[in-house]
Amino acid sequence: MDIELGTQLIDSLRVGLILLDHAGRVISWNGWMKRHSGLSLADVSSRRLDELFPEIVGTRLESSISDTLRFKLSSMLAPSLNPNVLPLYHNPGDRKLKQRMQQLIYISPLRHEHCACLIQIHDMTAAMRRERRLRAQSTQLIETSYQDALTGVGNRRRFDQDLAQRFRQAKDKQRPIAMLMIDVDSFKAYNDHFGHQGGDQCLIQVARALQEALRRDGDRVSRYGGEEFALLLAETDREAAVAIAERLRLAVEQLNIPHPAAPALGRVSVSIGISAMIPSEEQLCYILVAQADLALYSAKDAGRNRCMWYDPESGAARPLSARIADSERTGSSESHES
Amino acid sequence: MSELSELHRDALCELFNLGVGRAAHSLSQMVRDEIELSAPFVELIQPSEVSAALIGSEFRELSLVSIDFDGPFVSKAILLFPERNALIILSNMLDPDLTPEEVSEFEQEAMCEIGNVILNACMSALADEFGVELHGGLPEHSFSDTDSLPILAASNDEHLILLLQIQLTMRQRLVQGHLVFLLSVSSLQDLRDCLDAYLDRLGIH
Repeated sequence: MDIELGTQLIDSLRVGLILLDHAGRVISWNGWMKRHSGLSLADVSSRRLDELFPEIVGTRLESSISDTLRFKLSSMLAPSLNPNVLPLYHNPGDRKLKQRMQQLIYISPLRHEHCACLIQIHDMTAAMRRERRLRAQSTQLIETSYQDALTGVGNRRRFDQDLAQRFRQAKDKQRPIAMLMIDVDSFKAYNDHFGHQGGDQCLIQVARALQEALRRDGDRVSRYGGEEFALLLAETDREAAVAIAERLRLAVEQLNIPHPAAPALGRVSVSIGISAMIPSEEQLCYILVAQADLALYSAKDAGRNRCMWYDPESGAARPLSARIADSERTGSSESHES
Repeated sequence: MSELSELHRDALCELFNLGVGRAAHSLSQMVRDEIELSAPFVELIQPSEVSAALIGSEFRELSLVSIDFDGPFVSKAILLFPERNALIILSNMLDPDLTPEEVSEFEQEAMCEIGNVILNACMSALADEFGVELHGGLPEHSFSDTDSLPILAASNDEHLILLLQIQLTMRQRLVQGHLVFLLSVSSLQDLRDCLDAYLDRLGIH
């Protein structure tokens, strides 16, 4: 291949090529480099890159070039770890905006009398932009996949993940964790009376009331299934959990949604089962759910529209003490841990 | 033939320790955060023993960065991290808010570079102290499981493996990795020669 053709080919490449001699001085600088740096071969010839671009002193680009010249080692510089190393610009307009090209750089040794080091530079600006956009989309999709389509609160997947994570944290730190299992009373009768659309509206209102009654950031209601909702409370002991449960029960009661098929109260209510523990090493997270479930069924059996908590000493569910129920009704505040 | 003396092994430990120290310095500069790499433990094993020696059965998915070296010895150097550990390193380096699941395939390049930094630092320490040239190729990144390690496919009885265990500590998190050098048996002799010359120069026999 003649030299003229070789030069044309190198200048036509859509990648930046720089050749350095054994002292690290520029021998060759292709058309791509000229376009994106604004410097011609005449401007850079026989000069070292650290003279041309003092900002690369102390960077990985400088040490990689010296590794290549000294030890014949190759290196690659990823754009995510070495943002905008060289003052190269995707478009001429970017220079004014000081928006440098995202660069992927390969540096490798050559076995040649005069040429010691080849530097290849790829423009990753478009790929990085695409990457950012895809990530933003996937973050949004992940968010959606954790949301209950009807009520907008977390879905079962959200709850299962939160349960595993928060239970593990509670176990690691040996801190209390509590769970509330919340079930809309006589919901089948409500559906039968108002139809499924009416039932849906009821669930939406209940879910909103539950979520709004929570005061601490990070506490979130999830729809466990059908008309059941679940709530995990990190750093919360039984007494505090019981107080929160009672507040949630009242919040639903105070929605005053008529429920003609529930003659006792005449409006929509919830029953709540509470469990709380400091998990021991051998306990699995499901035990928290099983205990809350048991307490919930006891609350149903005891007449609905009430909270009951699981007592690990007796293995049975207990009703709230009058004191807690009273203090919630009068609106005195509680801390999450007492 | 397929052995290294205690003295050779100590010298290798020392040299790799030097390299790993350089690598830690470069990585810390890259992320502007303290990264520590432990002194490696060096052992020489048969290719058939690789799987057993690696990390253990709980980590089957591996992230590999390999570089071919051409010189008096060593044909291939591979840095292995359990995939999960590799993603932890990356998410920490790129953006601490990223979960390992969010670190995309795209960031293989970043993993490639991290491997590149560690492997080059080790090899340049050897080349420097031995006074030899090791022509290194560009790094390549891949994912693999412990059963189908390319290193095993490429190797046979003619090869020996120099296995180094290293630990990387970053923001108080300990990440275990392995550095694997695939050597041909004849290369081992060359490596021994280099080590002897190095020890001679230090006046140790």
